Amino acid sequence: MTEEAKGVWVYLQTEKDELTKDSLEVLAAARKVADKVRQEVVGILLGNGVEGAAKQAVSHGADGVLFVDSPEFGTYFNLRYIDAIYAMVMARKPYAFLFAANELGKDLAARIAFRAVTGLATDNVQLEVEDYSNPVLGDFKNLLIQIRPDFGTRLARIYTPRHRPQMATVRPGNFAPLPPDPKRKGKIERFDFKGGDYPAMVKEILELPPSPVDLAGADVVISLGLGILKDGSGRPRNPKEAYEYAVQLKQALETKRGLKTEIGATRALIYAEVKELDGLIDKSNQVGQTGTTVAPKLYFAVGISGALQHRVGMQKSAKIVAVNTDPEAPIFKIAHYPIVGDLYVELPKLIKTVQGATIAN
Amino acid sequence: MLIIVLLKGVPARTTQVAQVGGVLNREAMDLVLNPHDLKAVEAADFLKKRVGGKAVALTMGPDMKLIPLMKPLYESEVLGVDEEYVLSDRKMAGSDTLATSYAVSLGVKKLVERHLHALDLLAETISRAGYSDLVRAKAAELYSSNLLPNRIYSELPTVGDSLVDRYLAGSLTPAAALAELAEEKERLSRFVVLTGIKTTDGETGSVGPQVAEGVSELLGKVVPHATYVEDFDVAPGGTSLTSDRRIGRLVQKLVMQLPSLLTISTEYRPREPGPFSQPEVRRNNYRGKVYRAVKWTSDDLWADPKRLGLAGSPTIVGAGIDIGKPPVQKTVGESLVFLKTSGLVGFEGKNYGPYQRGDLATNLPELLVSRLQADGFLGPFSYEMLAGELFP
Repeated sequence: MTEEAKGVWVYLQTEKDELTKDSLEVLAAARKVADKVRQEVVGILLGNGVEGAAKQAVSHGADGVLFVDSPEFGTYFNLRYIDAIYAMVMARKPYAFLFAANELGKDLAARIAFRAVTGLATDNVQLEVEDYSNPVLGDFKNLLIQIRPDFGTRLARIYTPRHRPQMATVRPGNFAPLPPDPKRKGKIERFDFKGGDYPAMVKEILELPPSPVDLAGADVVISLGLGILKDGSGRPRNPKEAYEYAVQLKQALETKRGLKTEIGATRALIYAEVKELDGLIDKSNQVGQTGTTVAPKLYFAVGISGALQHRVGMQKSAKIVAVNTDPEAPIFKIAHYPIVGDLYVELPKLIKTVQGATIAN
Repeated sequence: MLIIVLLKGVPARTTQVAQVGGVLNREAMDLVLNPHDLKAVEAADFLKKRVGGKAVALTMGPDMKLIPLMKPLYESEVLGVDEEYVLSDRKMAGSDTLATSYAVSLGVKKLVERHLHALDLLAETISRAGYSDLVRAKAAELYSSNLLPNRIYSELPTVGDSLVDRYLAGSLTPAAALAELAEEKERLSRFVVLTGIKTTDGETGSVGPQVAEGVSELLGKVVPHATYVEDFDVAPGGTSLTSDRRIGRLVQKLVMQLPSLLTISTEYRPREPGPFSQPEVRRNNYRGKVYRAVKWTSDDLWADPKRLGLAGSPTIVGAGIDIGKPPVQKTVGESLVFLKTSGLVGFEGKNYGPYQRGDLATNLPELLVSRLQADGFLGPFSYEMLAGELFP
């Protein structure tokens, strides 16, 4: 039964009739998987007026798009969407089905997986295809290897050997969207679906103002952790000073180096609700598993020990500079440029360096 | 209103995680209650204040570990939970989210059925025993087991018009009493399930929506769910909820018929209960708290063993892998690097290099290193060199 399942499906999210960045990333992830198993990438698209987005999906790597297009799909409503997607899964039986690991993707994927009686691996940061042998269950060829942060170890491989589709959500920020290729051809196909009545309805949708902090779009991210509460000798220090250094560093990077810079923070620092940082950092600054995943050209980790939950949100950064007093801090395992020392001593040097001044170490 | 709060015991410390073949061994670890689930307890408190009823905590895992953990929940927030249930069975060990959600859905179904059954028992007694004292005795027994709300039977002096009181006083015919009990069954079927947005161990966030699906399957009717609920309220009469749930930069206002399941966001702050009818709340409340947690095994749930534990789990957790170390690591002020470009260096009959400025001095004989240092070829990696590499 698992042999017959064909097709790497991607649930496509749109915003103002265009595919979201998260969806383009999942398309890229699906393309990688599909090429390895020699199958097609099929975009799953639900909405009202989806033609443009369907073409966009093909140009970004889909071999086909299966869509439902009707006014009742104009607004996201989980029960109706789940019914439609489940009907598609039952009709076509895909090999794998990928969703973005955001609120919407997770809302859909979990309930569909239960109804389809299959596994769901969430928050994957990598996807591979490998053969898998299990002493009890036997050998499986060309399995989707779902790699996600794991509590016990560091990253864990998750296998769904006996059930199809192999369902997974993909964490934003881990796959680069494929460049659009307008010459690509794909089969765009309507799926007929009639929804029923539901014991719930969407009454209203409010749009929140865009976050003032664009972590995902920054060239450089300077992130602060709990380490800023103390100096190198362990004495309490006003963390606002560290924040102000970060602002100076940001200004130097922007004015002297032309790099768009944002200030980030660890979950631990944000949830510590430090009085001195009130109004300066909040959840919109959070980098990590429960915040934003970033992959900038340059990442500064200041006073961050590097818990796994933080590392999975920034480990794809091209260059990582880490400042910490503890030479054993896990952040140093992944930093390209460790700076072991008191951040209140080292940050001013870093700022001067960025400004172009020569300083003694 | 029957308010069911789903909670999970999670490892207290990441350093002390015990695993057996990729599956967490919860019996071998110190557990704490998943902090996200405490938001669901706050939401349950709000509902109890607003409409009355009872809050029941439901968890799954080793009962010896979980029962002590859940004890403080009786006292938590303003009102706390009234009853606690633990699904505990070796057959459930190693469950992934699908198998967990199946077992928890069975637990939810059993909780609802237990209360419906109590109403059936009372209806049966009324049909059989007419106006005799047997009715009061049966009602008192069910009430003391915390299975009847004050509106049906009450020992509170402030509730003088319970169904049983009115019936035994002769102001209700048996048919009218049975009709009211049928109404109460309808009311009971409009329950609410609350849980956290995710757990701090698995972090999947899947179990909430999957329990909504599981309960839908088991009850044969669609149970809506909303995840990341930041605010909600209940309509008068307790027939529906309005909930504000977050999706990216959008907030959706949903109207949901009951039963429904909500996962409560960390951003949730309970509303003020507002002007509400205290007598009505009291009539919806039950006798009180039952301080002894109840354990249910898979047999108690009539579970299909093929859907439990490892057998019922489609996913398998493989070996952990390390996040890669960067290929080259240069520590500022420490790593010895070439300060200038150097051609081949001959030393004791061997050639080394050539080297570019900034290359690490690795795998060089100690004596050569000190000579190169003395000649100014080698030195610690400086801030200036860092700038050169960061901004080429």
